[in-house]
Amino acid sequence: MEVLSFTENTGLIALLVAILPFFSFVFILSSNKQKGANFALSTSALSFLLSLHLFLQIWNAEPEHVQLSWFQVAKVQFFAGVLLNNLSVLMMVLVSGISVLVHIYSREYMKNDPNLNRYWAYLNLFCFSMIGLVISDSLLLIYLFWELVGFSSYLLIGFWFNKNAASQAAKKAFIMNRIGDLGFLIGILIIYAQFQTLDLVSLFGDKGLLSSSFIENGLWISGSRNMPEIWLSIAGFSFFLGAMAKSAQFPLHAWLPDAMEGPTSISSLLHAATMVAAGVFLIARIYSVFDPLVLDIMVWIGAFTAFMAATIALTQNDIKRILAYSTISQLGFMVMALGIGAYSESIFHLTTHAFFKCLLFLAAGSVIHQLHHYSIKNSHGFDYQDIRFMGGLRKRMPFAFLGMCLASAALVGLPLTSGFLSKDSILIRTFEWAASREGVFVILPWIMVLTSWLTAFYIFRLIFRVFFSESREIKLDKLAHINDSPSSMTYVLIILSFFCTFIVFALNPVSFESSWLWKGFQLSVIKETRFFHWLVPLIINLGSILLIMFAYRIYVLDKSSKLTVGSWLYQISIRGWFFNEIYDFMFVKSVEKLAQIIYQFDRVVIDGLVIALATITQLLSSISHWFDRKVVDGLVNATGVFSGYIGRFFRTFQSGRLQHYLITMLLFVLSFFILSYLI
Amino acid sequence: MIPVAHFMFISASLFCIGLYAVLTRRNTIQILIGIEFMINAAVLNFVAFGKYDKISGGGQMFALFAIVLAAAGVAVALAIILNVYRYFKSIDPTKTDTLKN
Repeated sequence: MEVLSFTENTGLIALLVAILPFFSFVFILSSNKQKGANFALSTSALSFLLSLHLFLQIWNAEPEHVQLSWFQVAKVQFFAGVLLNNLSVLMMVLVSGISVLVHIYSREYMKNDPNLNRYWAYLNLFCFSMIGLVISDSLLLIYLFWELVGFSSYLLIGFWFNKNAASQAAKKAFIMNRIGDLGFLIGILIIYAQFQTLDLVSLFGDKGLLSSSFIENGLWISGSRNMPEIWLSIAGFSFFLGAMAKSAQFPLHAWLPDAMEGPTSISSLLHAATMVAAGVFLIARIYSVFDPLVLDIMVWIGAFTAFMAATIALTQNDIKRILAYSTISQLGFMVMALGIGAYSESIFHLTTHAFFKCLLFLAAGSVIHQLHHYSIKNSHGFDYQDIRFMGGLRKRMPFAFLGMCLASAALVGLPLTSGFLSKDSILIRTFEWAASREGVFVILPWIMVLTSWLTAFYIFRLIFRVFFSESREIKLDKLAHINDSPSSMTYVLIILSFFCTFIVFALNPVSFESSWLWKGFQLSVIKETRFFHWLVPLIINLGSILLIMFAYRIYVLDKSSKLTVGSWLYQISIRGWFFNEIYDFMFVKSVEKLAQIIYQFDRVVIDGLVIALATITQLLSSISHWFDRKVVDGLVNATGVFSGYIGRFFRTFQSGRLQHYLITMLLFVLSFFILSYLI
Repeated sequence: MIPVAHFMFISASLFCIGLYAVLTRRNTIQILIGIEFMINAAVLNFVAFGKYDKISGGGQMFALFAIVLAAAGVAVALAIILNVYRYFKSIDPTKTDTLKN
């Protein structure tokens, strides 16, 4: 009976799901033994099972909200608690599930790393903060976990901190995320100023304070409080800024490609599947705060990010950077989908993307792992992440190849994959939404279609380069030494491959409306236009297949390509639209310039003042010195000299000779008499 | 009858000779002699003026006193000189100047 009552106490279980990895983090850090792997894996597996149990209980049932009084400031009570609804249990299963897979994968992948304990500890810290983030019921708690997620991401990017690039990348990620965190904090403060509470349910619930607040005569009114209308937009934009930094949206996207300096398993869990989805999750969690203006901004930023990242991914040569830009691009899709109001489509894509992007990274990690071993074994130094040096691995690593193909198909949105359902649902919604809007919004769906086609090209360019044709670096006879990664890594790839298929999400492979996951979030308010539902997938897939064939011609059959290395389009793409250079020029250089100006100001004005003051003081003191020496000392010395002179004069009388005394006496007596006689 | 003025001239010159001896001699004995000269000049004056007091003879009486006192003083002075000589191996008054320091 007691077990039963425990399993029904969902709030407690949710807490346990979050606490388990934290416990593991503390335990692994405090123990010196290199046995962290088993412990970390068992806690994360337990945490996954518990969250699965929660998922089955909460999904499509009544949301669970448990909270305790946390602290009190003045008369305002703050609560801390757990809010479990469809969104948070889905994220919980996603995070803990992928985390288990990454744990299994990492056992092999990170096997020979000397700092393995640190790795497991950080990984568990991340799981703790991420699960804490998704179950928290107040903005303040979310903010705490948000910061923790950023911090653990920083630790994990900089895991190989003795590599300069890694520590630089960690710093870059942290600083860029700080900008977003600032936005998040401003948003929280505005919400608190207006509503005096940070509780998610009372703020953003169905009958929450935000939906009951209204705008009248340019004032944003809630109960007895009001503030100018613009503050609603500012609050929404501030929250969106936070999401932009975490989900790597333009202009705060530049940290994600650099974050690939971390271990590939980390890139897979944090920077592809879960952590970067935190921004999208945040937008979805507080969706009612965004007014139409902010939603439009969201649409354009998402669309631009998606397009820009896809064009950059076209020419990158580092296998992980291609995937990183692809992640940015897909996150752009999700953000744009939220912007047009395609709430459930966005969450759907978040889920499917987590699986197929995780698979892409882990398969890439498998390739990198094997090539790394090859390069060590044959002391053959080459960049084992550069796809220009790869090739012909299809026969040698069939599981990695098949996994990658399946994940790529899902990424492109080819039929029978999960991506087909989720991505095409977003695109269909975009078309439907654009049909109801006017002006410049009409081109939006076409930007997304173009982005989607570019996706097909760059991901198959990667596959053709890595798995087809011949290796440019490794001799064919030596290829025999390269095999698929050890079995535990391969199992993970197989499991993830299964999750890339349509069957997990919907029984009908061509209709996203039949997906259980999509039905879990019914917030879309876009007018449906049936005819887009078959036309859009058709256009996308035809274009994608044509572009895949085009890529095949270029990279496998070695036909010359129009994308010559020298062209300016190629330059823009491979340098990432020069964003690093622009930021360097705009922020780093300008700060340096400012610092130099301030330095000069310091040198000339402040130092000048100080030096002038010192000189004046010196002058005054030398005058005073002179006065002291000449006047004061002179007086004193003159007194001394005068008394000495008098003393010397009278000393002559004291000769000690009897007869002198007598003469003196005589003279005085005589003079006395003479004087008395005269007077 | 010899006028008093003559006595006074002799007594004054005696006194001056004594004074001169006291101030200039380098020998304490001679200085002592100079002092005797000066005492005797005074005594001469007493005696000379004694003629105006023939009934009680005060001048003579005073002269006798002075002579006795001078003799006693000389005795004391000679004793001091003797001791000074024993101490300094000299009776030059310019060399007995230890009080100066």
